[in-house]
Amino acid sequence: MTIFKMLKFLLFLFFSQLVSAAIVQIDQKLVNKNVERSIDLTSHLVKVTAAITLENTGTSPISNYLIVLEPGTSGNLSFISVKDALKEELVVKPTEVAGHTDKVFYNVILKQPLGGSRTVVLNLEYVLTEAIVPYPNEITQKEKQFVRYFGSHYFYTPYSTTKQTTTVTLNSRNIENYTKLKPVSQSDSSIIYGPYTDVAPFSFDVLSIHYENNAPFLTVTHLHRLIEISHWGNIAVEENIEIVHSGAKLKGPFSRYDYQRDTSSNHHSVKSYRTILPAAAYNIYYRDSNGNISTSTVRTRKDWIELELRPRFPLFGGWRSSYMLGYNVPSYQYLYKKGGNEYVLSMRLLDHIYDDMHVEELETNVVLPVGVKNVKLNAPYEVERLGDGKTFKYLDSLGRVVLRLKKSNLVEQHIQDLEISYEWDTLTLLHEPVLLAVALYVLFIIVIIYVRLDFSINKSEKKE
Amino acid sequence: MVEITALPRYVSPVNPAVFPHLTLVLLGIGVFFTAWFFVYEVTSTKNSRSLRKEIAVSLVASIFSGFGILFLLLSVGIYV
Amino acid sequence: MSQTYTKKSSISKLNSKAGISSLLIFVILLLAWIAGFSSRLFAVIRFESIIHEFDPWFNYRATAYMVKHGFYNFLNWFDERAWYPLGRIVGGTVYPGLMITSGSIHYLLHLLHINVHIRDICVFLAPVFSGLTSISTYYLTKELWSKGAGLFAACFIAIVPGYISRSVAGSYDNEGIAIFALQFTYFLWIKSVKTGSVFWAVASALSYFYMVSAWGGYVFIINLIPLHVFVLLLMGRFSNRLFTSYTTFYILGLIMSMQIPFVGFQPIRTSEHMAASGVFALMFAVATLKYLQSMMSKSEFKSLVIYGGLIAAGIVFGTVVLLTYAGFIAPWSGRFYSLWDTGYAKIHIPIIASVSEHQPTTWFAFFFDLHVLVATFPAGLWYCIKNINDERVFVVLYALSAVYFAGVMVRLMLTLTPVVCILSGIAFSGLLELFLRDDEIAKPEESGDEEHTTPKNRKYDKVGRVPKMKHELNKEPDGIGPNIRTIISVVILLLLMLFAVHCTWVTSNAYSSPSIVLASYSGDGTRQILDDFREAYFWLSQNTADEARVMSWWDYGYQIAGMANRTTLVDNNTWNNSHIALVGKAMSSNESAAYTIMTALDVDYVLVIFGGVIGYSGDDINKFLWMVRIAEGEHPKDIKESNYFTEQGEFRIDGEGSPTLLNCLMYKLSYYRFGELKLDYRTPAGYDRTRNAVIGNKDFQLTYLEEAYTTEHWLVRIYRVKKPDEFNRPRIPVANRLVKSPNFVSKKSTKRKRGTLKNKPVIVKGKRLSSKQS
Repeated sequence: MTIFKMLKFLLFLFFSQLVSAAIVQIDQKLVNKNVERSIDLTSHLVKVTAAITLENTGTSPISNYLIVLEPGTSGNLSFISVKDALKEELVVKPTEVAGHTDKVFYNVILKQPLGGSRTVVLNLEYVLTEAIVPYPNEITQKEKQFVRYFGSHYFYTPYSTTKQTTTVTLNSRNIENYTKLKPVSQSDSSIIYGPYTDVAPFSFDVLSIHYENNAPFLTVTHLHRLIEISHWGNIAVEENIEIVHSGAKLKGPFSRYDYQRDTSSNHHSVKSYRTILPAAAYNIYYRDSNGNISTSTVRTRKDWIELELRPRFPLFGGWRSSYMLGYNVPSYQYLYKKGGNEYVLSMRLLDHIYDDMHVEELETNVVLPVGVKNVKLNAPYEVERLGDGKTFKYLDSLGRVVLRLKKSNLVEQHIQDLEISYEWDTLTLLHEPVLLAVALYVLFIIVIIYVRLDFSINKSEKKE
Repeated sequence: MVEITALPRYVSPVNPAVFPHLTLVLLGIGVFFTAWFFVYEVTSTKNSRSLRKEIAVSLVASIFSGFGILFLLLSVGIYV
Repeated sequence: MSQTYTKKSSISKLNSKAGISSLLIFVILLLAWIAGFSSRLFAVIRFESIIHEFDPWFNYRATAYMVKHGFYNFLNWFDERAWYPLGRIVGGTVYPGLMITSGSIHYLLHLLHINVHIRDICVFLAPVFSGLTSISTYYLTKELWSKGAGLFAACFIAIVPGYISRSVAGSYDNEGIAIFALQFTYFLWIKSVKTGSVFWAVASALSYFYMVSAWGGYVFIINLIPLHVFVLLLMGRFSNRLFTSYTTFYILGLIMSMQIPFVGFQPIRTSEHMAASGVFALMFAVATLKYLQSMMSKSEFKSLVIYGGLIAAGIVFGTVVLLTYAGFIAPWSGRFYSLWDTGYAKIHIPIIASVSEHQPTTWFAFFFDLHVLVATFPAGLWYCIKNINDERVFVVLYALSAVYFAGVMVRLMLTLTPVVCILSGIAFSGLLELFLRDDEIAKPEESGDEEHTTPKNRKYDKVGRVPKMKHELNKEPDGIGPNIRTIISVVILLLLMLFAVHCTWVTSNAYSSPSIVLASYSGDGTRQILDDFREAYFWLSQNTADEARVMSWWDYGYQIAGMANRTTLVDNNTWNNSHIALVGKAMSSNESAAYTIMTALDVDYVLVIFGGVIGYSGDDINKFLWMVRIAEGEHPKDIKESNYFTEQGEFRIDGEGSPTLLNCLMYKLSYYRFGELKLDYRTPAGYDRTRNAVIGNKDFQLTYLEEAYTTEHWLVRIYRVKKPDEFNRPRIPVANRLVKSPNFVSKKSTKRKRGTLKNKPVIVKGKRLSSKQS
């Protein structure tokens, strides 16, 4: 076992050495032959997808491709992934490039090294949060919400680009203004920039769009997700959610009268949103510190359960709310037996809260059963593992191990499975009932003793 | 690494559907023995009381009640 | 007397029947507990596990504080979030028994790793204690009469509405545990009077201590027990048992009651407690006399009694009067006076009179809360008087005083209920003993009865059968035919069944509303939940600054503190009348006068309850006259009640209402923009459903406040008090401004408005801005 581990470690070291050795410079032989980029600005997230056709103009094979973030967006990046033409995930790692220490680079390792004058298609996808800023940042109840986005007309890349087009999708036709670097055309709610030809590496030209966006600007400031495993056949999930409307702040009064009269669905305030739960979820509860929130409806769909949540009050810009959502799922949905007494839990590290969600801070706690050993964690992406805690649930005398995981700035793409494997003895299942029986037995013994004691007191009284 | 979904799924040793029935049966027996125990304690005098019988009855009562309470908790949704 | 009989009978049937009988008693008490517990759960099942009403929210908040910060910090808790800017010393102004009880249950359960939230403990505390109450009622009645009567009484008190009204799940209030403490103290007291044992007297004092820590109603005990002793002395029933138990009880009870910070030195300094010490002194005098009697001749003794007695009484009375005059003993408090004179509070203390539960009781309420018991308890009383002994004197006094107090105040119905249950238990037990003597007659009924009656009724059969107490009714003529017996038993059964049905009905319909969540039923029977209170409080807790101060009428103070966790000006602990009057004055003044008060009190938000949209009658406009009255009491120059009435002396909110009313702050806050709202097609805009009138002042603007939040059904309206710079700033033309905003930001919302701005700088690429403008 240990030898295997060591080998693994060595292998890992070797690979990382390999990777770090390969990234030091930008290979100018590599050219972006065609970039078709689309920027989706319909929600409060910036979702950028780009289909990049690479060409190796040199002769020696190239095995990696560099992605560079636009200046000033490194803090906003939430998710990045690159897929090849067969939709297979490629390894993406942050790196540094000599001579460009001020920029943030990601290194993509190609499946097969790209030979001379060969081309390959990469699909880049990344999501930026907090990159769309409400402007003006304070509006009254009746006003529409306008936002601004700043980006670049050109696909920001360390390589030279032969041809590129950019499509920006907005969610309304009401565009206050946008930069017009020709050729540009606007149709309905989308703007198409380009094609631009022969763009030099690292060319940057500010693109700004000021438009109406009444999408729900919701941000989960803190999400505490608690998963509790019971080997009696149940997994309990509880999410404590603190949510804020991060759009333009409400200025002046809130009038219920105006709110009730305004029946248009297109409003910057958020009345309700949908949360999707696993199909097997039951015993769903939705409450806050003051008790049950009665305004929610559960709809069962074929493959999931749809929960329409209405906060106690409509959320306007800057208003906060918090609630707790919990449910149970049967253990056979997510718990697997790996032979012997080893078990594997495969469950989502983060689950859906609302469409186009943005979670600023996530803490997932997994409460393992009593008496687990040899806990191993396999996270789908890098997460910070805080020190293990210990908690006492109902009738616990030994305490349970709590795995505590933390990550910040997450979006929908982060809904992925977490794998935890542990060793656990089936006999520990008897721990609670035996404990109960012993406790009751002690009570009986006390009664037996008391009955005898009682007699001795009576005797002494009789003597008097 | 073995593909997770290929592994056998873990199922509870006791089917959750029978929790309420188990509760009823076990608690019923437990309560019966408890009642027996207490009636015995009240009716027997110092001389007629036998420690062995008391201990035996209370042991049975506590085991059945213990498991009964556990399944009661499980059936109302408190998964221990 | 009865005890010796029961002893004898229990010895005779020790092995076979004692087991069955004790099992039966156990089962019946358990069933009574379960029945009592479950009938208190209507609110939890219909709504949820939640704290109800007003005071429970404070108790819950205090308990949560204690659980979080520990007992000593709780005792030293200075709550700066209440009574702004005064604050409240909570530890010294509460009866901590309730918090300690649920806190220790919480502690114990968590010690065993049963992780129950403190809220759930608080919610279910009163129903659990109702079971303990019925058990202690059983013991008390057993001591007074017989086991059978005890079982009856236990079953009655488990489900009687008069007690349920104060102990449903969620009604987390002092009374919930205090009635148990009351009954238990009385039981121990009776026990100690009967045995004369120091042990029972000490136990009784301990139980009294618990009662003192739990409820202000302990004064009832400390006056009733001395009264009992006093009457016994008058009846010439002095005994050493009485002497031992009373002296032990009084001294220990006195010392222990003074350990409660809120009570402090009251037991020796206020008139309410003086009766106890007077009886204590009298007890010694009588004991001394009894002792002297054994030494002196008859004539000597007679003169000694007369002169000594007169002198002693004179000295005691004089001292009390002197001490009262000198200020060592406080005279009767106002609340106490209101017990003697029902009109007193209305004139002198409007704040007490404004509470609905302090109103005199109607006859209807007696029947509503007690049903058949109200008719049967005089019978039990009669039985007791007929077969009087030391402890039955007590229950007679208990009944008489409780009946009086219950007549004075609706709230004190609670103290009457236990004694009514005891005496009705005795009455029913007596009746059934008479009519169910023949076991052959009782049996067929029992078998047919068991399927369709509640557990309570089933118990009674067994009661009739189990303990054979023929001692009381030995003299009764036995000339009743079997038919009459059957008929009467069936009638009694029917009565009991009706009683059970009535109790459940009353509990379900009248006493099981959390009052912070309202439910309304639409035409097709579907239920709609109006959750406006929690909506508003949660909004406050999430979207206002942590230290924001909220002004509202005192009824909502505890709820705001408990659910919104914000600072309040006044709350349900109405200790400072002038502060409440100040809030009342702000509410009943016009907007600008109110603004000066509100800025003086640093108010950030004002919260009003408005029921006009849904027809909720308990809103602030309906309470408004009390605000005016309380304000008038302290500020008679500024506020006059008569100004708020029309010339005909009516309180109207429509066009004919008095202008003072139509322009006061409360009116404006309640009806702000309500005049535009059209509720349905049949009524005009601005139609108030609660008062069935179109409001008189429709079109007005608020200068000093702005609407911050209004709940879905307009039930709670929250306004923000503007800062002086928000409404009072003269507008300076842009040209004269010293600080000019560098770039004027266009705030236009749509394209259509383009070009309406004046002096808009036109930017042309490549040209400098200034040159273009100049």
